[in-house]
This record gives sequence, structure tokens and C-alpha cells, in this order.
Amino acid sequence: MKHLSAFLAAALLSTAALPALAKVEVGQPAPAFSLADSNGKTRTLEEFKGKTVVLEWTNAECPFVKKHYGSGNMQAQQKEATAAGVVWLSINSGAPGKQGAVDGAGANAIVKTGNAAPTAYLLDPEGATGKAYGAKTTPHMYVIDGQGVLRYMGGIDSIQSADAADIPKATQYVKQALAELGSGKAVSVPVSQPYGCSVKYGS
Amino acid sequence: MPHSWPRLLSLIGLAALSAGAVQAAPLQSEHLAVELVAERQALVAGAANWVGLRLEHEEHWHTYWQNAGDTGLPTRFEWTLPPGWKAGPIAWPAPERLQIGDLFNFGYSGTALLPVAIEVPAAAAGTEATVRLAANWLVCKEECIPGKAELTLTLPVAAAAAAPADSPAAAAVRAALARRPVAASWKAAVSADGERINIRVQGADLPAADALDVFALQPQVLANAPAQIARDGAALVVNAARSEYFVAAPAALDLVFVERRGEALRAWQVAAPWPAAAAAAGPAAAETAHGAAPGEVGGLGIALLLAFLGGIVLNLMPCVFPVLSLKALGLAESAHAPAAARRDGLAYLAGAVSGFLVLAAVLLALRAAGQSLGWGFQLQSPLLVAALAYLMVAMGLSLSGAFVIGARLMGVGQSLAGGGGARGAFFTGVLACVVASPCTAPFMGPALGFALTQPAAAALAVFAALGAGLALPIVALSFIPLLARWLPRPGAWMETFKQVMAWPLYVTAVWLFWVLMRQVGADAAAVALLGLVALIAALLYHGRSQLQPQAGWGRRLVFAALLLLALAPLSALTTLAVRPGAEAGAGQAWQTWTPQRFEELQHRGEPVFVNMTAAWCITCLANERIALSSEDFAARLRRDGIHYLKGDWTNQDAAITRYLANFQRSGVPLYVVYPRGGGAPEVLPQLLTPGLVDAALARAAASPSPSYSTSGSSP
Repeated sequence: MKHLSAFLAAALLSTAALPALAKVEVGQPAPAFSLADSNGKTRTLEEFKGKTVVLEWTNAECPFVKKHYGSGNMQAQQKEATAAGVVWLSINSGAPGKQGAVDGAGANAIVKTGNAAPTAYLLDPEGATGKAYGAKTTPHMYVIDGQGVLRYMGGIDSIQSADAADIPKATQYVKQALAELGSGKAVSVPVSQPYGCSVKYGS
Repeated sequence: MPHSWPRLLSLIGLAALSAGAVQAAPLQSEHLAVELVAERQALVAGAANWVGLRLEHEEHWHTYWQNAGDTGLPTRFEWTLPPGWKAGPIAWPAPERLQIGDLFNFGYSGTALLPVAIEVPAAAAGTEATVRLAANWLVCKEECIPGKAELTLTLPVAAAAAAPADSPAAAAVRAALARRPVAASWKAAVSADGERINIRVQGADLPAADALDVFALQPQVLANAPAQIARDGAALVVNAARSEYFVAAPAALDLVFVERRGEALRAWQVAAPWPAAAAAAGPAAAETAHGAAPGEVGGLGIALLLAFLGGIVLNLMPCVFPVLSLKALGLAESAHAPAAARRDGLAYLAGAVSGFLVLAAVLLALRAAGQSLGWGFQLQSPLLVAALAYLMVAMGLSLSGAFVIGARLMGVGQSLAGGGGARGAFFTGVLACVVASPCTAPFMGPALGFALTQPAAAALAVFAALGAGLALPIVALSFIPLLARWLPRPGAWMETFKQVMAWPLYVTAVWLFWVLMRQVGADAAAVALLGLVALIAALLYHGRSQLQPQAGWGRRLVFAALLLLALAPLSALTTLAVRPGAEAGAGQAWQTWTPQRFEELQHRGEPVFVNMTAAWCITCLANERIALSSEDFAARLRRDGIHYLKGDWTNQDAAITRYLANFQRSGVPLYVVYPRGGGAPEVLPQLLTPGLVDAALARAAASPSPSYSTSGSSP
């Protein structure tokens, strides 16, 4: 029994050494995707061509997501971004049965009760889009410009903690990247360490 | 219920633990029981005491190491201690690799303990004291729960260590300490090749590669998936993917190697310096590397010229001037024998130059042997500081007329024509170098420190130039009799001049004792002062003996005994030393620089102002007075949320020496400003003005520096 589990662990480890999570790179085209949103409508990256797109990996039960929704930080950024014509897509890559995984109705309830304002809430139960982007944490943020080129990836802000009291002290990287892109500047912090809970992928 | 057994066992274990006298009962939080424990039943005053937070994880749950990996957060401690107590950083035991799907984390499961050394001042003996810990953690299985606890531990404080306790708490602390990585003396070299990072480790007793794992202290450098580790002959070779979130190379990558064979665990830590070329290969590091260079000011030629000028200026230092002015007058007296004067001038030059060369060679050799030292090292040894203070007082007493030093040293009123003259002049040169050495550290530390980071031949040339500059006035006097004629004629006034010149030496001694107090505390400094009293007694006695036509054996014996009495306390200096350290008070604008605190802030992308200073560095103290202690400065820090970290290099500190080396420095002061959100640090000049500091802080607090833009990302 012990040997078997050791063998299994070794086998797992050896497969994991291969890059199962894809690598995306700032300055390169962002991977295309096609996902159903919470209302059953198919959404693609292609359809938002010409607009700046924010991808936000989310899981409403994760304490780090709660930090940014409980404080209103995430909703405020969503509203500010969408008001400026930016497309904001919340994505849930939780596999069915895992913590925070939702169906369309569940997603809509979260958006409504949380007073959130994404352009759409996308469901990625297979985890294919999450893995194509290498999304590791919730929240994990990406900013894609109108040409479909990745301009930012990483954390929502600069202070890695689960404590909402840290938010005012932190640099809000997505907000900053959007402001810089909006005024035609280069993104000053294009990469930061994402922090949060793990994305609850299926096997 | 197959799970209930281990649960039950751990509960029994906890119950057994809480029966020990040292700890309060464990606190049960969600999926984690925590408990503050101490290694000993009583804390030991005047010593570092190990305490620790014991973590009892529920099965399948874990908490995190200092680098948490793909997700998670490191456990954090905040201590509330009695005044004067100090808590060190967490002495992290070797982590486990934790895998969830394709994600990798580094942390602890099962039973673990995070040890911390608490320094208890000697004065706390005989009391009962309470230490309070606010611990913050993230405990995860697949889902995560942030947790925190306030824990207290009340223990008696004993004057001396009792026999080590046999309690389970003591065993747990010791087990955790044994799992810390040991600092390996291996050499590690990094080569970064695009997306792959290669680290080649060489040295004695390298472990086999088969049961080895490697972890990086710094996040965002290596990908968190397991690296390939192999033996290549006598070397250990690590090949890892570069982190997708790699932004800039660290000055050095700190690696922890962990070998697990069954229950046995061995762990090592080694720093792999990042090569400059590889750093430039990073997307944003070129700017950092540039910002770190102290500006190559025209190369060796200018360095030599500056050192030479510096040497001339040294003649005016309070530690040097009295000695050398008298030497000059002595030369003036002997101006009638030009050939002898020239020879003595050259001997003196040789003495001063070789004095500095020996000092520099010793330092270079120590550095080559792996010691983290920089210029100013001669003042980082309390023994040398005390010895220099003694020397200053002794020379001062001689000038005050208490006794006559062998004319060889001072050369006052002594004919220089004799055969001993050249040798005497040589040693006067050496003496000039010795008395000048404490003054070079405060005023020339930065320049000489920079010289030390250059190739050995260039470094030695700079020190030789310094010695030549120091010798210049006397050499000039001995070669140009005209100059000597301008000096006042020797006469009775010289006696008065000598008396006056004694006082700068006494003042220098006071300064050295102040440095000593900062180094070893009041107790040890008082002992050294007692020794000084004995020295004064010895010298006064010696002076009286000199008046006697014949010095008998008895008198010599008494003199020797008094001298011995004077020197004996020096041997006790280090054992009595209590490092007072730089403690940040509540109202102070700064916190003590530690690598951990600094990295934590860096990691969070907070703006940071770093000040590397030392008590013996006059430039540093002047800068602090002028630019870093005003209310405006403090207000700027508060308003912009800039963290002010101060590192004290008064004593030897390898971590600070390494930090200085990142900026090609080997001396203080060093001022570095890190902008908000990461980015290239800005090195400030060594002479600060309030306006300059304020402007730099304003830049750092503003939006992150544009140096992070990636190639090709400009629209």
C-alpha cells in the first residue's frame, strides 16, 4: 500500500514536471478562447477585438477574492474600467464539485449579491482556458490590449495578503495598467507575482 | 473511520505537551492548532533564547514557507516584547514541496515549529516576563483559510542557563532548529540561458542528487515546478525553468537544498551570485544594474589621484595632525643635514605606504577567504577600537609631558642623522598609518570601499597612493630645505605647542570610546576604561622613573605589571559585550534593516528608503543630522507610506556587507531608494541635502518607475 502510493506520487511528479500549465507572455498575443457566460451566451476573445480586455480569475469562496470583493475594491475597478469602455471578464475555472464552482445561475447570483459589474461572468469548468493562460490563483489578472496582445499578468495589487486593510496601501496594478494603456503609455509594471488561493481545476 | 486514529494520537500528543511547564495550552484554530513554546523552562538573561510557534496541521492541511510557491502566503509573526528585548526573524526549517494539480507550494504539514531567537537583556534577570506573539497564517488543503492568533508565554528570567529541559516543547524546538538549512561553504554559479536557469554548485561534501530537492528563497526567479538536479562529477547541477513572473534578477539567488531519506533530513543554504551579463538578459534588469553602479568615475587614474589627495588631507585629521606636526618640526630642526633628511623622508614614505599596503592586503586576504568585510573593518573590532583609544591617550600623555616616548616614534628634538634615524622614520610612517586608520573609515570609507571591490592590483595601488599622500608633507619638507626654513624655529614655544596638541588626541580617544560603547555596551566599555586608568598609571609611573638616573629592576617590574593590568581588560571585551544594537523606538521614523524585513517590503512592492550607517562613520552621522532627522523628512515618510530601514554596520554584519556589495560598495554610508511597485532602485549621493532626499522620496512614492517596461510593449 505504501509502495503503491509512493509509486503514484512519483508518477504524478514526473508528469507534473512537464509544463501542464501553458505559458503566456506579456508582449505576445493572448490565447484565444470561447466560453459560455453565465447566461449561456458564447463569448470569445475575438469578439472584443479593438477593446482592452481584463480577465479576472475568480472563486467567490476564496478568502483572497473575498478580500477584494468584501472591501468593494474589485467592483469599483470593474465599474471604472467598463465605464471607460474596457471589457471586464470574470472567469471561474473551478471544476464542478470543487469549492467555489458555480453554474450560470450561481454566477449570476454572485454578481448580483456582490454588486459586481463585470461585462460578463464566464464559466470554464473544464479548466482549458485557465490552463491556456496559466492561471494559478484567484484572483489572477490579465490585461489584453485592442490588438489581442497581453499587456499585464499577475496579481491584482502589490501587497500579498488576505487582509483588506492592506488594499489602500497597495499599488493596484490592473488599474494602473489600464490608465497607462488608456493614455498611450507603456505598462510600467507588466508582470507581478499573482497571489491568492489555487484555481480549483479538475484533475 | 480510518482517519480518527492519527487525529486521536495527535490529540494525545498535544495533551502530553500541554502537561509540560513551558507552554500554555495549544490554541485550536480552523484545521490548525498553534502553541507558543520555549526551549527552556526559564529564559536566560543576556542571551538569545529560542522560542517557537508549534503548528499542528490537520491531516492534508498545510501552512507556508517564506517563499510560498505558486499560491499561499508565508506565515508572519509580530512580537510584543518587554522594552529592550528583541525578536529575530523566523528561522525557517526546511520546507516540504506540496503539490495540488499542476501547482506547487512550499510549506509545512503535520507537526512543524517555526523558531525565533529572542534576545533578552541582561538586566531582565530575576523578573518574570511575558512575550506576546501575533501570528498570521494561511492554512490550505485545496481551499484556504486565513488564520491568526494572539499568543502569550510567561516565563521567569534567570541570570544563567539551567540544564537543558527534557520537555516535549524543548524537543520540538530543537527538532525544528535541526531542520534549518545550514549555511554551506559551497560556491554556486548561475548561468541564465533564456527560459532556463542553470546553477552549478561546487564544494566539499555535496550530497547525492537522487533524494534532493531545491527551493529558492526569492520568489519570481525559478519556476515552482521541481527543478532537474544532477551530479556532474564533483559538481551539483540544477536546471530549472525561469519563473513566468520573472522581472529582475536578484543580486544573488539564495537556494535551499533539502535531502530527505526516509525520516532523515539534511538541508543546506547557499547563495548563488547572479552574473551581471545574465542579469542583463532579464526583461528589465539592465536598468537595475546600471542604477546600482556608483558611476565609474574615470577609472583607476582618478581613483589614484583622489586617494593621493585624500592622503594629504589625512594629515589634518585630529588623530594624525598632532603626531605629524611635531614630526615636521623635528625635521625642520635637522634641516642642516640634507642628505640624512632626504633618506629619512624616503624611509618615512616607505613606512606609510607599506602600512596601508599591509592593511589592504590583510583585508583583501580576509575577503578572499570568504569573510564579509569592508573598509572600516578595523573599527568593527572592539579590540582594535579599544587599542587605538589607548594609543591615542598614550601619545596624548606623552605630549602633555607625562613621559617621554622613545624618540624613535615621535622624533621630536632628536637628531635624525644617526643610523637609527632611517628605521625610526620608517616606523614613524607606519605609526602615521596606524593613527590615521580610524580617521580613514569615517571620512574615506566609501572611496576605499569602492577600491576594495576592484581587482587586487588596482586596490593595492589605491591604498599605496593614499599612503604616499599621507607622507607627502613630510617628504616635501625633507627634500626641499627651503620649505623647512619657513617653519618656525624650534624653541621653548614647542613645549606649549606639544601641550596643546595633546588635546585633539584625547578627543579622538573619547570618540573611539563612544564607538566602543555602541559596539559592546556600557559594561564592557567601562571595563576598558578601567584598563585605561591602569595604563595612565603605568605611563605616569614610567614618566617618574625616567627622571631617575637609573631604572632599577623593581621599577621595571612595577611598570610591566601596571601595563599588564591595563591590557588585561581588553581580553574580556568580547565576552562582556552586549550588543545594544539599533533599536527602533515607537516614535522613530525608522525600523532596523534586516534582510527579511527588507525582502518582505520589496516583495510587497512598497517604497523603501535604505540607510546603511555606522557609529564610526562621521559622514553618516552628519547626513542623518542634516537630512534625515527633520520633521519634514518624517512627514514625507508618513504621508507617502515610505518605509525607512536603517542598517547599522558599526559591528560586523555579513548581511549588510552583502547588501553593500550589491551596489559595488564596501563601505558606508549608502542610501538607496526603492520606488513603489518595484523597479530600479536609486542610489543617492554620499553627501545628502534635505532637498535632494525629498525629491528622491517623492519620485519613489509616485507611480512606479518606467524602467519595468518590457521590450516590445510600447504601443
